[in-house]
Amino acid sequence: MQLLRLWLLQLRYAATRELMFRANFFVWVAVELAWFVIQLAFIGVIYHHVEEVAGWRRNEMIVLVTTNQLVIQIFTAFLMPGLSKLPELVRTGKLDFVLVKPAPPAFLISTSHLEIGPLANGGIAVAMLVAAVGGLGLHPSWGEMAWYLALVFAGLLVHYAVLMTLVSLSFWIIQAESVLLGYYTLFQVARIPREAASGWFRVVFTFAIPLLLVANVPAASLIRGGQPGPTALFLLSGLLAAVFSTAFFLFGLRRYQSASS
Amino acid sequence: MSAALRALPAVFSLGLQQQLAYRWNYFLRSVFSALPLLVSWVFWGAVFRERATVGNYTLAGILTYYAVLLVVEAVCQPSDDDFQISREIREGMLNPILLRPLPYGLYRAALFAAGRSAYLLAALVPVSFSLFLVSRAMDLDLARLSLGHGVPALLGAALLQFSLTLCLSLCSFWLLDVSALIFLVYALEFLAGGHVFPLDLLPPPLFAVVRLLPFAYEYWFPAAALCGNLSEGAWKAGLCLQYGWAFFFMVLAHFIWKAGLRRFTAAGG
Repeated sequence: MQLLRLWLLQLRYAATRELMFRANFFVWVAVELAWFVIQLAFIGVIYHHVEEVAGWRRNEMIVLVTTNQLVIQIFTAFLMPGLSKLPELVRTGKLDFVLVKPAPPAFLISTSHLEIGPLANGGIAVAMLVAAVGGLGLHPSWGEMAWYLALVFAGLLVHYAVLMTLVSLSFWIIQAESVLLGYYTLFQVARIPREAASGWFRVVFTFAIPLLLVANVPAASLIRGGQPGPTALFLLSGLLAAVFSTAFFLFGLRRYQSASS
Repeated sequence: MSAALRALPAVFSLGLQQQLAYRWNYFLRSVFSALPLLVSWVFWGAVFRERATVGNYTLAGILTYYAVLLVVEAVCQPSDDDFQISREIREGMLNPILLRPLPYGLYRAALFAAGRSAYLLAALVPVSFSLFLVSRAMDLDLARLSLGHGVPALLGAALLQFSLTLCLSLCSFWLLDVSALIFLVYALEFLAGGHVFPLDLLPPPLFAVVRLLPFAYEYWFPAAALCGNLSEGAWKAGLCLQYGWAFFFMVLAHFIWKAGLRRFTAAGG
C-alpha cells in the first residue's frame, strides 16, 4: 500500500514535469505514431500479396500488432523512461541518490519517470484494435475483455524483465546505451505470429525469453478464445522472467561503487 | 585547405579511438543489429510457406535483400553522429572546434568515416554468424551479388545519409532538442527507404513516388544494386538521383551551418 502511494506521488511529480513541455508532447506523439504506421504499412504490403500468414488473416494480424503496440505504449509511458535512465545513473554516480531513499531501488528507478505521449498512442492502438475486432465480426464479452487486459498487463512483466536485465548490464559495462537498441530489436520478435516460428527460435523465444507470447497470447485469446496451455505458460514465464531480472539487478547492484569521494 | 586535409587522418584516428573506448557497448550494438535478419527469416519463411514467390521475390531473394541490408547499415548508417553534433552546438563544445583551421563538415565527415570503419569491424562477427545460420537453412541468392553496381551505390548512400544527418542535427542552432525530429525522419527512412520491406513490393504507383524521394537511396537502392536486382538503366538513373540528393543535402547543410553560426553564441570554455 505504501509503494502504491509512493508510485502515485512519483506519477504526479513526473506528470507535472512532463506537462512543462507541451510542444514536446505533441512531437513525440507524432514520432510514436509514425512508427506504428510503419507496422501497419508493413501489414498492408504483405497482405497486398498474400491472403494469410501462418494462419493469420489481415485483421487478425492487425489485432496482433495493435496488441503489441498497446503493451509497448503502456510500458513506454510508465516504466521504460525510468528504467532507461539506469545506465546514466550508474555511470554518473547519481544512483547514490536513489539508494539512500527508504524504498526498493528497482521500484524507485522504474517508476521515477512518466511519458504522457505514449498514452495517446495507446489510445490510437485501442481504436485500431476495436476496428480490427469489428472487422473480424467478433463481439467479446466484458469478461473476455477483462481477461485480455489482464494478459496485456502480464505482457508488461515480460517487457519489464527484458529491459531490467539489459539495463542492469550497465553495472559491468561503462557505457551501456546500446542495450536500449537491443531492447527495441528483441521486441521485433513479439510482432511475429507464434505459428510462424519453429525449431530453436520458437523454443528460445517461448521458454527462455517469452517474447513470442507477449502479444500472441492476448491477441489469440480475443480472436480464438481462451487457450489454457499457452496462457499458463505465458503467466508463469512472465513471472519467472520478472523475478530473474530483479535478482540480476540486485546482483549487479553489489558491484556498484558509488561516485562519492 | 591543404592543412585541413592533412589534419583529417588525425581526426579519423581520434574518431576511431573514441568509438573503441567503449568496446562492450559497441559489441552489444553489433550483436543486436544481426537479430532483425533472424526475425525476417522466421516471418518471411511463414509468408512463403504456401507460395514460391511474393512480387518478384523468392524466399532466398528476399532474405538476401535483408542480409545485404545489414551490410548497407554497417557501411552507411550514422550511429551517434546526429546527437554528437547536437550536443556540440547546445553545450558549447563547438567553440574549440571553431578555432581550428578545419571546416566543420570535413571534421564531422572524418569522424563519421571512423565510426563506420570501427562498426564494420565490430559487426563482422555477429553479421557473419547470423548469415551463417540463415545460409545453413537455405541457399541465399549470393551468386547474383553485383559489387560493380553495389559499391558506388553504397558510397552514395553513405554520402547521402551523412549529409542528411548533418542537415537535421544542425537544426540544433534553433531547436533545444532535435531528437524528436531525428526519430521522425528515422521512421520515414525506415518506411520509405526500404528498411522494413523491399520497396518494389509496394503497389506500382506508390513505388514510382517513393523512388523519387531521397530515402529510397539510403537503403533500398544500394541493397537492390548489391543484390543485382537492378537493370543497367535503372542503376544509372538511380545513381544520378542518389548523388543528386546527396549534393542537394550537402549544399543545404552548408547554408544551415552559415545561418546557424550567425545565431550561435560562444560562451565560456
